[in-house]
Amino acid sequence: MTEATGHVVEARGVSKWFGETTALDAVDFTVTPGVVHGLLGPNGAGKTTLLSALFGLVLPDEGTLRLFGRTRAEAGPGWLDGVAGFVETPRFYPYLSGRRNLAVLAGLDGGDAAALIDQALERAGLADARGRRVKGYSLGMRQRLGLAAAMLRRPRLLILDEPTNGMDPAGIRDLRTALRQLARDGVTVILSSHNMTQVEEICDAVTVLHRGKIAFAGRLDAMRADAPDPVWRLRTGDDGAALEQARRSAGVKAERHDDGGLVVFAAQDPMDEYVLTLARDGVAIRGLELDVTPLESLFFQLTGEAGQPGETRQTPAGLFIPPARPDNVPVTEEVP
Amino acid sequence: MTLAAGQWPAYAEPAAGPAAGPSDPRQRSGTLVVWRLELAKLRGQWRVRAIALMCLVGPFVIVAGLNVQSATPGDTAFGQWVHTSGFAIPMVILGFGGQWLLPVGTAVVAGDIFSSEDHFGTWKTILTRSRSRGELFAGKFLAACTFATAAMVLLIITGLLAGLLAGTQPVVGLGGQLVTASHATELVVVSWLSVMPPVLGFTALAIFTSVASRNSAVGIGVPVVLTLAFQVVTLIALPAWGQQVLLSTPFTAWHGFWEQPAYVGPFLYGLLTSAVWFTLCSAAAWLVFRRRTIGGAS
Repeated sequence: MTEATGHVVEARGVSKWFGETTALDAVDFTVTPGVVHGLLGPNGAGKTTLLSALFGLVLPDEGTLRLFGRTRAEAGPGWLDGVAGFVETPRFYPYLSGRRNLAVLAGLDGGDAAALIDQALERAGLADARGRRVKGYSLGMRQRLGLAAAMLRRPRLLILDEPTNGMDPAGIRDLRTALRQLARDGVTVILSSHNMTQVEEICDAVTVLHRGKIAFAGRLDAMRADAPDPVWRLRTGDDGAALEQARRSAGVKAERHDDGGLVVFAAQDPMDEYVLTLARDGVAIRGLELDVTPLESLFFQLTGEAGQPGETRQTPAGLFIPPARPDNVPVTEEVP
Repeated sequence: MTLAAGQWPAYAEPAAGPAAGPSDPRQRSGTLVVWRLELAKLRGQWRVRAIALMCLVGPFVIVAGLNVQSATPGDTAFGQWVHTSGFAIPMVILGFGGQWLLPVGTAVVAGDIFSSEDHFGTWKTILTRSRSRGELFAGKFLAACTFATAAMVLLIITGLLAGLLAGTQPVVGLGGQLVTASHATELVVVSWLSVMPPVLGFTALAIFTSVASRNSAVGIGVPVVLTLAFQVVTLIALPAWGQQVLLSTPFTAWHGFWEQPAYVGPFLYGLLTSAVWFTLCSAAAWLVFRRRTIGGAS
């Protein structure tokens, strides 16, 4: 990394076009050492293109990319030294076993990578499947094999594109713990996701991409400070009385939901006070759940997304926080 | 099955200094590393094993087939002598193989060696390791050429052995002269070696179509179709220069070695033609490959 900037990754004005489509539009992206940095954005935001550019799989049309302070031209063949990871679903030779695949990759890496194969397979939870052909692996197993392949390189920068795709909850939990531990030991992790909740749990800093542009860049706590109120789903014994009470409560806004119950916009403290007041007034609370976290709300504002694909969010039109135009969002705080 | 959380760090061992590879793997030639790994991958492919098996036993099967019939492949050079001299057999195989088998055999591997990475989506896996595009390109190219060369050498050996089993009598050359056994052995080997340049030309052609199309069917199919097209074109009245630019023409240059007196003009023209095809296809493949976008960017 450069002593001048201290950045592990430094992208300045990076643009990439695929025909008429702008995949990256003058992107500035920096990552400091030893953090887990989330790269967020809806599908098609440019996350994979940016990660592919870091790996040299995609060559930017404009701008400068530095890894550990060196451009590709300056680093030459050593551009990816100390860098590991994968973009999209890790892919392997289906006709070879998991172990043979890692042997091929270790052969490309050289050094002592081959000696780490069995250890890596064991730690990825693939010891029992090491001799099976990869074509029989599930998506989650391929993700694990991708992680094992990355760790053969003893990375100082680990780049993971949607690493939890196909993983079971236990695997996701373990990955989260492992990534935090890696960061504590000085490994910088870039983790792309379209899942804000997942990023909240793992990351120290975050960059939000939308339509190839940076919509937000900064520490997660700074993002929280900018975030709007969370959205709650509330079911009561008397929605009319609950609506009336909301009008009288400071910092609380409530509206009816098409499917019954209420949608309440309130920060944690006003919400606590509101619920206690309802109880004192004899309004039964039959259900209360956090529907959209503050960071999710901000993410949706930044990206103009009404929810994630496949989600069954049922907030009625007009009630949802109106999306802000990404171009108007003043962002790009320098990540410390 | 769970990830062993918390155990990765001891193994990751992040260094404090500037980025470094596993232990500077470029100490060894990256091209040779890739070449060695590609050969290992090729050994695991059934089609490579099938071609190797064909090269190994094919000539013996042909000899066995000729022994159980009295007819001869008279329309092929040396075909009429297959029952009188074993040296005619490798030449008949060369005459037929040069038109079809050799271009197809090399295309099966070379036309797939790049596009199979597209098919499996593994470019992004291997290009994120410690090897440059140049090293990967050169290593794969070398592996395809190695396969073509190895298959040829195997065919020379088994063809000659199968012929020797059939008999070591002198053979009648294309000029009507009698060629002694020792000289015939030399000429068989030299004739087979003379088709190496066009085989490598077809290898480069298949690699180019594989790189450009990113599709193994196209990578293998185009050289095969071109082989057919060249056959058809040679049937029409082409000017001499037109015949010489075809990549199929050098496959018959060995005829001059068996004439009386022998001549090497067609071989030299064939060498030049093959070199031009090889160079152009290799360069075009590299130009396409070096800046291409690798899979999946949104």
